[in-house]
Amino acid sequence: MMQRLRGLGATAAPIWVLTAVLLVLPFTLGGSWTFMLGLCFANSIGVLAVSMLVRYGGEVSIGHTFFTALGAYSVGILDTRYGISLWASVPLALFMGVVFGILFAWPSRNMHGIYLAVTTLALALAVPEIINNLDALTGGYEGLYVATPFVPGIEMELQRYYVALALLLAATFAVARLRLSRQGMAMLLAKTHPAAADAFGARRVWARVAVMGISGGIGAVCGAALAFSGSTVSPGGFTFWQAIFLLVGSVVSFYGLSMPRVLIGGAFVTLVPQLLSASGAWIPVFYGLALLGMILLGHYMPRIQKALAREK
Amino acid sequence: MTFWDTLLYDLFPLIWSGMITGCLYALGALGLVMIFKCSKVVNFSHGNVAGLTAFLVYGLSSGVLLSLSWGAAVVVSLLCAVAIAFLIYSIISPLVFESDLTSTIATLGFGLIAQGLTLVIFGADIVALDLPIPRFTVSVLGLLVTGYDLTVLAVAVVTIGTLFIVIDYTKLGIAFRAMSENPFAAEVCGLNLKSVHYFAWISAAILGVIGALLIVPTTFLSVTTVATFMLQAFAAAVIGGFASLPGSLVGGILVGILMNLFTFYVSPEYSSTFLLAVILVALNIFPNGILQKVGGSRV
Amino acid sequence: MNSATNSLRGEQIALSFGGIKVLKGLDVEFRPGEITGLIGPNGAGKTSLFNCLTGAYIPQQGTITYAGHSLDGLSPAARAGKGIVRSFQHVALCPDLTVNENVMMGVARNYSAGWLNAFLPLPRGRKEREEMKRAAEAALTDLGLPDVGDKMPGELPPGMQRLVEIARAVVGKPSVLLLDEPAAGLNNSETRDLMKVLRKLTSTDLVMVVVEHDMDLVMSICDRIYVLNFGEIVALGAPEEVRTNPEVVRIYLGSDDDE
Repeated sequence: MMQRLRGLGATAAPIWVLTAVLLVLPFTLGGSWTFMLGLCFANSIGVLAVSMLVRYGGEVSIGHTFFTALGAYSVGILDTRYGISLWASVPLALFMGVVFGILFAWPSRNMHGIYLAVTTLALALAVPEIINNLDALTGGYEGLYVATPFVPGIEMELQRYYVALALLLAATFAVARLRLSRQGMAMLLAKTHPAAADAFGARRVWARVAVMGISGGIGAVCGAALAFSGSTVSPGGFTFWQAIFLLVGSVVSFYGLSMPRVLIGGAFVTLVPQLLSASGAWIPVFYGLALLGMILLGHYMPRIQKALAREK
Repeated sequence: MTFWDTLLYDLFPLIWSGMITGCLYALGALGLVMIFKCSKVVNFSHGNVAGLTAFLVYGLSSGVLLSLSWGAAVVVSLLCAVAIAFLIYSIISPLVFESDLTSTIATLGFGLIAQGLTLVIFGADIVALDLPIPRFTVSVLGLLVTGYDLTVLAVAVVTIGTLFIVIDYTKLGIAFRAMSENPFAAEVCGLNLKSVHYFAWISAAILGVIGALLIVPTTFLSVTTVATFMLQAFAAAVIGGFASLPGSLVGGILVGILMNLFTFYVSPEYSSTFLLAVILVALNIFPNGILQKVGGSRV
Repeated sequence: MNSATNSLRGEQIALSFGGIKVLKGLDVEFRPGEITGLIGPNGAGKTSLFNCLTGAYIPQQGTITYAGHSLDGLSPAARAGKGIVRSFQHVALCPDLTVNENVMMGVARNYSAGWLNAFLPLPRGRKEREEMKRAAEAALTDLGLPDVGDKMPGELPPGMQRLVEIARAVVGKPSVLLLDEPAAGLNNSETRDLMKVLRKLTSTDLVMVVVEHDMDLVMSICDRIYVLNFGEIVALGAPEEVRTNPEVVRIYLGSDDDE
C-alpha cells in the first residue's frame, strides 16, 4: 500500500542517487549519447504530463502533442524570430500550456473516459495542420532551428543536456509536491468519489479543469525541452503517432510519477526509434507489441504472483 | 452567376457528394459503435486493420503477393479481416471485463501493429487500387451522378440493411440488442457475452473493409489513407452518440456534408481542426448524440 | 439561546421523477442538540429527502432553510461551505490518500493557500498541511482511532472505514451532520461502536440527521424519529412513541417478520 503512495511521487533516496549519476554522466559519455539523453529527459516530461492526467484525473489523453507542440513552438518562435532565449520562452510555454489546457478542459468538462479520449485524438490531429498553415510563424514543414544558448559561454552540447535534466527535475519535484497539497488531495478525491469531493467543497468541474491545466502546462514544458535539446522544431515531431507514443511511454512506466519511473517511459519513447532506425517500418510494430505486452503483464502479473505465492 | 446558379452548381453537388462519402463514414462508424455498444471498448485499431485489409486486396490482385482475380482477392481479404478481428478480441477479452479504458488502450497497440505490418509488407508508397466500378455519368435534374456514387449508395444500403435485419431478426442480433441494453441482465438470462462480442467485432471488421475499399477510388491507397478516413468515422460515431446505430448513420452523412461544405467554402487546410470543433460543439449541445433529443433510438 | 432558530427546516418539500411523486409536500424540522432519525420502508422517500437536504436533488417545490437562511439553489459544495456535511452510504474514501489525508479533506474548505504553495515547499502551504494534519489526528483520536492515520483506507475493516468517514465529516466542526445509512455493511460490534461515537458527537449546536435501516441503532440513539411512507410523514415522535404507533407497526416494523 505504501508503494502506491510512492508511485504518486514521494521523494526517496534512489532519486538523489539517480540525479547525481545523471549530473556527471555527460563527462563520461560521447556527444551523441549526451544528445540522446537530453531528448530522453524531455520526452520523460511528456510522459509525466500524460501519467499525471491518468493519476489525478482518471482520464487518458491521446492528444498531448497539442501541448508539446505549443511549448516547442513558443521556444522556437521566440528564439528564431525575436532572439529571446529560454529565460522568457519556458515561462511562456508553461503559461500557454496551462491556458490551453484550461481552454480545452472547459468545453470537455462533462466528458469522461472514452469520449474524452476521442476528443483528445481530434486535438492531436488538428496540430500538424495548424502548424503547417501558420508557416509564416512556424516555418511550416521546414521547421525552426533553436540555437540561442540559455547561459552564454557554456558549450551548447552540455546546455542541451542540463537544461532538459533541470526541467525534468523541476517537473517531477512539482508533481511530487502536489501530492501533498490540499489541491492535489482534492483532485484525487474528486477522481475516485466526485460526490464526496463535492460534499466537502471541491467541485468536480474545478478538479477537471485544474488537472487539464497542470497536465497541459507540463506537456508544454516537455515541448520546450524538446525544442531546446533537439535543436529543431518541425511538424514531424508532433504527429498523431507521437501522441500515442507518449501514451505508450506512460503505460510502460505503469503511470508512475516519480523521476525514475517517468525516465523509463521517456527512454522508451526516445530510444526505441533510435535503436530501430535502420528498420523504420518495424517501429510501430514494436511499440504496439510493447504496449500490449505491458498491458497484459499488468493484467496477469497479480494472478501469476498469487499462483507463485500459493505454491510456496 | 445568380444565387440560384450557385446553389445548383456548387451547393447541391457538394451536398450530394458529401452524402456519398458520408455513407462510407457511416459504415466505419457503425463498426465502431457496434463494438462500443456491447463491450464498451473504442476500437482504435479499426482504421488500421481496415487499411491493412485494403492493402491485402491490392497485394493479392496486383501480383505483389498473388495474382488472384479481383473477387477472389476481396473474399480472401475479408476472411483475413475476420480472422484478425477474432484474434484481437481473443487477446483482449480478459481485459474487456476488467476495464474498458485499458482495453481501449490495448486496441491502440493493435492499431500500431497493423500500421507497422502494412509498412513492412507494402512499404510507404502510394499505390493505385482499381476496383471494377461502373464508369458512367448521368445528369439528374442538373446534378451529375456517377457510377461510383450509385455503387457506393447501393453497397451502403445493402450492407446497412443487412446489418439491421440481422440485428432485428436473428438470434445473435437479438442477443446483441439485449446485451447493449443491459449486459448484466442479458448474462443472467443465459446469453453468452463472448459470442455476442465476437459477433460485433467480426461484423465491424467486415463493415470496415467495405468502407475502406469503397473510399479508395476517390483517392490513392497509402498507409494513412484508410486511417485518416476512419477518423471521420470516429467523428461520425461521436456525433451520433457513440451508442446508437441510427445515430452513427446520421452522424456519418452529417460529417460528410459538413466537411465538404467546409473545405469548399472556408478552407481545405483546416479540415481536422474543423472536425475537432464539430466534435466539441456536438458533444456540448447533444451530450448523448444527435438522435437522443428527437426520441429514443431503437437499435 | 433559542435553539429552535438554528434548526434545519424543510417546508412543503415536493419532488417527483417523471410524474412519480416521491415526496408529497413534507414539513420537517431537525433541531440542534438532537439526533433525528429518518426511517421508512424501501421507496418511502427517505433517501430522496436526504438528497434534497444535501443539495444532490433540487425539489420542485418547497424551501429548505438553515438557521433562517434559505439553502435553495446552493450546490453541495456551497452547502459544505455553510457547515452542512454528510457521510455516504457506500464508503467514499479515496484509496490513493492515507486515512489522515482523507480526514484532512474535511477541513480543506477552511484553507486557501494558492497554487504556488501546491507546487513549491513554501511556508504557508507547509503550515496549512500541519494544521490540517493536527485537526485530522485529533478527530481520529476523538472517534477512538488514534493509530490508523498513516494507513491506507483499504487496509482497514469496514467498520473503521465508516468511522474514518464520520471523522472526515466532523473534523471541520460542522453545524449540520447528515448521515446516510451509517450502519450499512457493519457487523453488530461495529454498529455498537458506531452508536457510542454518534452519541458522543451530540452537542447543543449540532443538527444530526440519520437515515438508517437498522432499527436498533435508530431506536437507541435518536431523540426524535420521522417515519415516512409513500412520500408522506406517517409519524413523528420519540422512539417509544414511534415504536408503539399502530400505523408504524403496521407499515414498517410489522414487515420485519417477512424479511
